[in-house]
Amino acid sequence: MKKYLNQNPVVLKLTILLLAVLFLLPLVVTSPTLMQIFILVILYAYFTSTWNFVGGFAGVLPLGHAAFVGIGAYTSTVLLQTYGLSPWIGMIVGGILASIVGVIIGIRTLKLRGAYFALATIAIGEGIRVLFENVKEVGPFKINGPSGISIPLSENSFTAFQFDTKAPYYYIILIMLLVVLLLTYFMMNSKIGYYLAAGGEEPEAAEALGIKVSRYKVIAMAISCFLTALGGTFYAQLMLYFYPKSILGLDLSYEIAFIALIGGRGTILGPVLGALLLRPVSELTRIYIGDMLPGLHLVIFGLILIVVMRYYPKGLVVPVKILFNRHIIDRFSKQDPSNGITSTDKAD
Amino acid sequence: MSLLEINNVTKKFSGLIAVNDVSMTVETGQIVGVIGPNGAGKTTLFNCIAGALPPSSGSIVFDGKEIARKKPYEICQLGVTRTFQVVKPFASKTVLYNTMVGAFAQTSHLHEAEEKAIEILKFLDLDHKKHVISKSLTLPERKKLELARALATKPKLLLLDEVMAGLRPGEVTEMLPTIRKINETGVTIVIVEHIMQAIMNLSEKIYVISFGKKIAEGDPQDVVADEEVIKAYLGDEYVATQH
Repeated sequence: MKKYLNQNPVVLKLTILLLAVLFLLPLVVTSPTLMQIFILVILYAYFTSTWNFVGGFAGVLPLGHAAFVGIGAYTSTVLLQTYGLSPWIGMIVGGILASIVGVIIGIRTLKLRGAYFALATIAIGEGIRVLFENVKEVGPFKINGPSGISIPLSENSFTAFQFDTKAPYYYIILIMLLVVLLLTYFMMNSKIGYYLAAGGEEPEAAEALGIKVSRYKVIAMAISCFLTALGGTFYAQLMLYFYPKSILGLDLSYEIAFIALIGGRGTILGPVLGALLLRPVSELTRIYIGDMLPGLHLVIFGLILIVVMRYYPKGLVVPVKILFNRHIIDRFSKQDPSNGITSTDKAD
Repeated sequence: MSLLEINNVTKKFSGLIAVNDVSMTVETGQIVGVIGPNGAGKTTLFNCIAGALPPSSGSIVFDGKEIARKKPYEICQLGVTRTFQVVKPFASKTVLYNTMVGAFAQTSHLHEAEEKAIEILKFLDLDHKKHVISKSLTLPERKKLELARALATKPKLLLLDEVMAGLRPGEVTEMLPTIRKINETGVTIVIVEHIMQAIMNLSEKIYVISFGKKIAEGDPQDVVADEEVIKAYLGDEYVATQH
């Protein structure tokens, strides 16, 4: 299937066109509000794609990934505040730290199956949030408990990871997402990917074929946590202010899982599709009815999830792929490809 | 030195002794059968060899190395691969994907794994199904896939757990030459089986287990004539009337 997609000239041209549109978007869209929504769609697609390494391929359902977003955000921010270290360096440090925490948690919990793993990750995620809410400072680092941290403002500079306009943030997160999607692709087509899928589906059979299932799951966890934390630093630099509930809360953990399940976990494009659908829902409900009914977006997500699971238990990526193959590949493979591209652009 | 030596293996589940002081040897290149009535402890013994269950006591030596109480993946890496009585394909994946998971035991490269997997699928006459999702295979095909996946790890010793159970007589007669063909490529086979005719046909040597104890061993012809064996399978009465 993958090879088929790669070799198909229509798909290749469409991908190039889509990338061109994505990279040119900030030149056309000037509204910062709209740009912010685009950035958040991509950021959530990023979080879900990094979650996917464990939640999609290792056959478990982590529901505490906000913890790693938080570790990334807090690490880079306290390093910036205390030592004036560039968030870019803090980002890597945060990633490594998240990875270590993830491995320590993973070694114990990844042996659990089904709901037990999900419950364990909720508990640990919430534990970490409560910890951050109750600690004012760790050594020289000020965390400020529940009131959170704001990032000291600086001038427009790449080293300081702060920009006057939204466009640089947009490009940064877009490139981060593309890198993660490429990594996902390479992982799926490697020994690790095959072993993870096998261990997730039939652990006993996988072990009988010489696979140390727990080890591969922990590797996936390390990769996932590292990349998730990088997104955490990005989030901090974008918002310039965050507090435990906003960045470590269950809301975020659940939203990532919702996006994955609705879009299609264990696929490359599922997280992107899920984020494209759910993020605008979440933004619109927050803008228009957020005051009256906070958290309503999660209720709506729940309803969407029920409907999607009823008809497409593997996520919306399945019907989208079928429609795509039927209406675009089949039609335009035979015809003039340039004609195909313009009309699919409208369809997208 | 024998390829596999099982010395006085016992497996207890709290009060129940499932395998009681069983010893066996398997020489390189042989097909060895293990038979016994329902609940005799065949599969438990098998699980002890494959590492799925640790034996309570005794030793299992494969190729000069102690493997009792090692993990299943370590045992596989040493060259012993098993199949499951209740087949366990990676159901949402294709036949080729399933076989490649096995082939990755030999290589880390995707293309090499694919080549090796296709080679095995051709050998087992399953390559025309390579792009089929494994959950839509028929039972005989699934059993073959189980074999393909195990063979792809390039084992020295293949442990087959009731690989013919649930097959129709016609399908059994198709499976027999396949197993013999695998053996001819130099793979030693231990086969646990219910179907007497099948195992009599294949094995050079048979061990009979009843109520956890080894009650007979030897050539197939000698074993079926053994009084203890007839008693275990058909009851005391049958032995009495024969005389």
